[in-house]
Amino acid sequence: MIPAWILDIFAAIMLVVAGLSAGRLAIGRPGSRVRPDSDIDAAHVLMGIAMAGALASSLHTVPNSAWVVVFAVVTAWFGWRVAAEVRVQGAAALGTGHHLPHLVHGAAMVYMFAAVTAAAQGSGMGMSGMAAGSGSMGTLKVPTLGLAFILFLAAWAVWDLDQIGSAHVRVRLPRLNVAPQPAVALATAGPAMPAGTVAGTAAGAAAGPASSSSASAPAETATDWLLDPRVAVACRIAMGITMAFMLVIML
Amino acid sequence: MVSDSTALAGGARASGARASAWAEPATARAQLPDARRWLQLGLAAIWLLDGILQYQSFMFTKGFSQMLAGTAAGNPAVIADPITWAARLVADQPVATNAAFATIQVLLGLGIASRRAVKITLAASIVWSLAVWWFGEGLGGVLAGGASPVNGAPGAVILYALLAVLLWPVDGNGDGARPAPFVAARPVGPAAARAVWLVLWGSLAYFAVIAANRTAQGLHDMVAGMASGEPGWLAAINRGAASLLDHQGLAASIVLAVLLAIIAAGVFLPPPLARAAVVLAIVLALVIWVAGQDLGGILAGGATDPNSGLLLVLVALAYWPSTARPARTPEPQGELA
Repeated sequence: MIPAWILDIFAAIMLVVAGLSAGRLAIGRPGSRVRPDSDIDAAHVLMGIAMAGALASSLHTVPNSAWVVVFAVVTAWFGWRVAAEVRVQGAAALGTGHHLPHLVHGAAMVYMFAAVTAAAQGSGMGMSGMAAGSGSMGTLKVPTLGLAFILFLAAWAVWDLDQIGSAHVRVRLPRLNVAPQPAVALATAGPAMPAGTVAGTAAGAAAGPASSSSASAPAETATDWLLDPRVAVACRIAMGITMAFMLVIML
Repeated sequence: MVSDSTALAGGARASGARASAWAEPATARAQLPDARRWLQLGLAAIWLLDGILQYQSFMFTKGFSQMLAGTAAGNPAVIADPITWAARLVADQPVATNAAFATIQVLLGLGIASRRAVKITLAASIVWSLAVWWFGEGLGGVLAGGASPVNGAPGAVILYALLAVLLWPVDGNGDGARPAPFVAARPVGPAAARAVWLVLWGSLAYFAVIAANRTAQGLHDMVAGMASGEPGWLAAINRGAASLLDHQGLAASIVLAVLLAIIAAGVFLPPPLARAAVVLAIVLALVIWVAGQDLGGILAGGATDPNSGLLLVLVALAYWPSTARPARTPEPQGELA
């Protein structure tokens, strides 16, 4: 059995991710009522809460079967978004479109919670988290699919991290007080590049506290920080790694 | 999520004049990593996978320390005694030590993926790999007499260290004058890189024909023994491969050794033949990884890494002969930040 404190740490990270994403949803972008990617923040809130509940036995959320339904809807939604990107950009959108990782995240959540639900029904025990043993080794009935998810999640986390540095290094950014808006151009760049990530991180490099121009820039507010694209990418990295962790311990 | 492009695109529409200052498509295209960076990212992903695998529940039990202690068997005392000592240390504090091991490996993966930290993390990964190769893998069994390319010789973790060296981020091309003929030549030069390749694949050829692997049922038993606990399709591959190897141990080990020797010599040949040798290396490594190593045993539970097959593929890719002058992209170090 994995020590409970390790599961609690991962659960805490997920709660932080959910909190940050909820904050981003609540704040929104000045001048627009609904940000175009609010659905992604909403998905992160749901995933963060669901995973925290699954990891820590002291947290009680909705039943796992309900999470299966929730994430089936989330997956269908992002499937529709990816399909829309493919219609506009062609098959290349699978490389450049920024909804693909969220589609996979959603599908992984369905897979995980469906497996945990089935395991609990099989054992006849109630479940309130992996610490209670419901997500222990051998839970996944199609482990090959689980491994495919794990590899994708690890690879995308690594790619996200690289692109943060890449954008920070290569894009010559204007001063901090210029609003971050490079996505139109950047989103259509390289054929294998998840443009959203690059675009976002490029903007984040300008707006973020670690920007090279930050010394001469006006002090940022908490809102600016929360809307920094790097915060969102960091959330996605944390979420991907935690999801991979959960899948590994269920193999 | 503002990080995603449509959010920013929306922002761009809201302030189009300012957006023009950001429209740098050429710059954005340049953000695709070069070949070496792709390989570094592959290495980072495998380190991250290793770290996550290390969090499995089995690793927090006495079973893990017993597994470590088991690698001492057959090694000379000077190698075996420190392994036994380290295993005792892990047995005394299984939770704390394993949590530290797992976290270190996750951090190595994340560090290599981060352009700012790649150099220091690669250096740390060399130290960590060498330590694990000794204390965790018993030098891959190379001194114990049972090493085989099929079971992961010369030890998967030493390949991490080798890759860290071959993928070391340097500006030059190794010999300082001409473009490097392949990625692995950039940090150490073509001659040294080819020597490393020769030693690696040559030693694998040697291990293929040592006494333990020449026996009639040696390879058969090794492959058949992997099927336990694997999903049906992988177990079926094991059974199929085992039936092919049944009582053919000597012939199979010789064929394997010949193929490995051809690969070892391949990088000294002209580029078209060198490419063929690299392709052969990749195919053979994948066959071994799937049919002989069962993807490192990850699907059976209790694996600490994906074993050597996947890493051999990365090594081979680092020797893919280039057709043009390598891209002179800025190095992903702090000076570029």
